[in-house]
Amino acid sequence: MNEPNLNCTNSKMRLETASVLVHKAINAIGQNKIKKGNLIWLELTGCSGNIISLLDGADPNFKNLATQMVNFIYDNSLMAAEGESAMEKLFGVIGNDFILAVEGAVSTKNDGLYNIIGRWRGQAVTAFDAIKMLGEKASYVVAVGTCASDGGISAARPNPAACVGTQNLLGRKVIKLPGCPCHPDWFLGTLAYILMFGEPALDDRNRPIMFYSTLIHDMCPRRPYFDQGIFASQLGEETCMFKLGCRGPVTRVDCPIRKWNNRVNWPIGDNSPCIGCAMFGFPDRMEPFISYDTTRKE
Amino acid sequence: MTETKRIILNPVTRISGFLGIDATIDNNLVTDARTEGLLFRGFEKMLEGRSPLDAVYFTQRICGICSTAHSIASSLALESALGIKVSQQGRYLRDVIHACEFLQNHIRHFYQYTSPDFVRLPKGNTLFETDHNDFRLPAGKNDLIVQHFFDSLEYSRSAHEMLAILGGKAPHNHGVFIGGVTSQATIENISSLKMLVQNIREFIISKMIPDAYTIADYYKDYFENGQGYGNLLSFGCFDRYEKLGTLYVDPLVYSGGSIMAFHPNEITENIYSSWYADKKVAYMPLETVPEPDMSKSEGYSWVKAPRYGGIPYEVGPLARMWLCGEYRNGISTMDRTLARVLEAKKLTDIILTLLDNLIFGIDVQREYDIPQSAYGIGLTDTTRGALGHWLKIENGLISFYQIITPSVWNLSTRGQDNLPGPCEKALIGTTLKDTDNPVELGRIIRSFDPCVSCATHVYSKGNLVKSINVVP
Repeated sequence: MNEPNLNCTNSKMRLETASVLVHKAINAIGQNKIKKGNLIWLELTGCSGNIISLLDGADPNFKNLATQMVNFIYDNSLMAAEGESAMEKLFGVIGNDFILAVEGAVSTKNDGLYNIIGRWRGQAVTAFDAIKMLGEKASYVVAVGTCASDGGISAARPNPAACVGTQNLLGRKVIKLPGCPCHPDWFLGTLAYILMFGEPALDDRNRPIMFYSTLIHDMCPRRPYFDQGIFASQLGEETCMFKLGCRGPVTRVDCPIRKWNNRVNWPIGDNSPCIGCAMFGFPDRMEPFISYDTTRKE
Repeated sequence: MTETKRIILNPVTRISGFLGIDATIDNNLVTDARTEGLLFRGFEKMLEGRSPLDAVYFTQRICGICSTAHSIASSLALESALGIKVSQQGRYLRDVIHACEFLQNHIRHFYQYTSPDFVRLPKGNTLFETDHNDFRLPAGKNDLIVQHFFDSLEYSRSAHEMLAILGGKAPHNHGVFIGGVTSQATIENISSLKMLVQNIREFIISKMIPDAYTIADYYKDYFENGQGYGNLLSFGCFDRYEKLGTLYVDPLVYSGGSIMAFHPNEITENIYSSWYADKKVAYMPLETVPEPDMSKSEGYSWVKAPRYGGIPYEVGPLARMWLCGEYRNGISTMDRTLARVLEAKKLTDIILTLLDNLIFGIDVQREYDIPQSAYGIGLTDTTRGALGHWLKIENGLISFYQIITPSVWNLSTRGQDNLPGPCEKALIGTTLKDTDNPVELGRIIRSFDPCVSCATHVYSKGNLVKSINVVP
C-alpha cells in the first residue's frame, strides 16, 4: 500500500501541475508571447541540497529551465565563471528585471561574517549583504527550501550562526517553497506560473496553494491503517507511522501524490516517519523525529 | 626582478559551498596559497541535547550533495555506541544506497563542475560564460562533451532515483538507519535497480571515461601540477564483508612510498590557524569541540586541520584507487579526475555484486534502546574521502558530537608547524600562464571536489566589511 489513487481526478491533476505549467511557459516563450525571465539562484547559509534537488527534476527538468525558460545568470554551484567576474554577473543584474531564487538561510552573526559568498570590487560580500542588495530589487523573491523560508536546520537551536529566513530581512513579499530539500516540481512549477501569470495564489504563510494545500495525513496511502488502528512499532514496518512520531498529520505538502526522484518513493513509502521537513519550525518543533511509541508513558 | 602579485579568487564556483583562494605569485609561480572556506553553521553544537536517534536524519542536512555519507557515518557511530551489530543483508542494502550517492556525485562533478574548465559550453546562456580562453579541444571533440554535459543529467538523476528506491528520497534520505535500512529487497526494486545501474554503467564506460581521457590528452600539463604531498588516507569502504570480503578498499594510509595499516588513534585535529579557541591547540576527536573565536591573530579560516600521525593527508577517489592498487599512474590534478571517473565504473561493479547477494524480504529493523551513557565512533570513506563522526550519549541524549569531513582533510589549514593543508600544498609551486586569468588555481582545487558545506567552519581573512554600497 504505497501508491496514491490516480483514478482520483484531483490527485492526477495535482501530479501534472508542474509539468503542464512548465511546458505551457516554454511554448509561450517559443511563440514570443512572453519573455524568458532572468534568474539568479543565490545560495546562502545552507547545504546546497536545493540546487542538487533541482538537478534531479525529471519532468520538468533542469535542461528545460536553463535552455528554454530563463536566462540563468548566477548560481555558484553551476556557473562557468569564477571569482570577481562571477560576482560582476551577479550584481550586474541590478537594474534589469530578475527573479531571485534563494537557497539557504541568512547568517546574521557578527554582521553576517559567518557566511561570505564572494568578493566584489575588493570587498567581502556576506550572505546578509547579498540578500539586502538583491532582495529589494528583484521582481519576485522565491525562498527555495526550508532554510530560506524559515531558517530551517541552519537556525536550529542554539542557532550558532544566528540564521534567519529570507523574509525576516526583506520588507516585501517572499514566496516560500519549504521542504528539505525543495522538490524540483515545486520550484519549476512556481517559476513557470510566475513567468506566465505573475504571483500564484498563496496561503497565509505565502506558500503556493497549488503545491502546499494538501495535508499529508489526508492523502497518505497508509491512512487506512491509521483508521483501523494498525500502527508500526518500529521503522521498516509497512503500516501507519503515527506512533513513531510521523508528522504527516501536521505537514501540508503534496509528497504522498508527487513523491520523489522520478516519483519512485517517499519517506513514508520507505517505512519511515515523515519528519515535517516542509513545516515551519523544522527541525526544532518537529523533533524528536523518531520515538518508538509516542503514546506510551515514559 | 621579482614581481609579486596577490590573487584572491572568491568565490571558487562549481564546488559545493563557499571557498576562496588567496595566493601569492612571484613571477608567475605560486609561492604561497591559502584556502578559505566561507561558511559556519556549527552542527556539532546544534546536536547537543537532541535524541541520539535523530542524528541520522539531522546530520544529513550538513550537506545536500553528500547527505547519505553523513547518514552512514552517524548510523555507524550510533551502532558503535549502542553495541549493535549490523546484519550482512542490512549492510548490503545500506552500501548500495551509499554507492548510488558516489555515482550521483562523480557524474555531476565530472560534467557539471569539472568539464566547464576544459570545454567551451554553448553561447547564449550567462551561466556558461567564462573569462579565460584556454580551451584546447577541437570543435568536434568539444561539442561531443558538451552534448554529454546535458545527457549526463539523466544519469546523475537516475543514480539519485536508485538511492530513493531504497532510501525514500534524495537528497536527505530516510532509508539509512541504525541496523542497516528501513526498506527491504523485493523482486520489483532489485530488478529496477539492476536496470538503472546497467544504464549508468554503460554511460560511464562509453561516454564519461573516454571524455575524461580526451580532456587528459589535450591538457597533459595537468599531470605535472597539483601533486601536493602524496600522502593518501582512506578509512575504507565496501570492505570486510563477512562473505564477500573487501570489494573496494580497506582502511589504509600511504606515505613516503609505502602503504600501511590505518590506526584511528593517530587522528588529531589542530586549530592553530582556525577561528576557534580551546585549552589545547591539538586534540583527539572525542576530547573537545572548540568554541568559535574570530579574534585570533594567527587565524585565517574556520576550517580546522585534521592530521594523521601529525601530518596532513589527502583523501578522496585517487587515494582509494591508489591504496587498493587499481590506479598508480601518478598523483596530480588530472590523475584525480581520471581516478574519479574510473572509480565510478568500479562502483557500478560493487553495486551489481551487492544486488546479486541480496535476499528478498528481510526486515533488518528493530526497536533500539538508548543507553544512559555511551560513546561511539563511525568511520567510513565516502564520495570525497574519509568521514568520521564521534559522539557521546549522557542521560539518554547526545552530549557531544564531533564531525571531521573529507573536505576538512583536504582544505585543512596550518598547524604551529606551518605545514600547508593538502589543497594549499597542491597549489603552491604551480606556474600560472596568465596571472590575469589564473585558470590553473580553480582547476587544481576542483580536482579535489571540495565540499565546503561539509567543512562548515570557515571564515575569510582580510578586511571585515559591514556593508557595501551598490552603484545604482
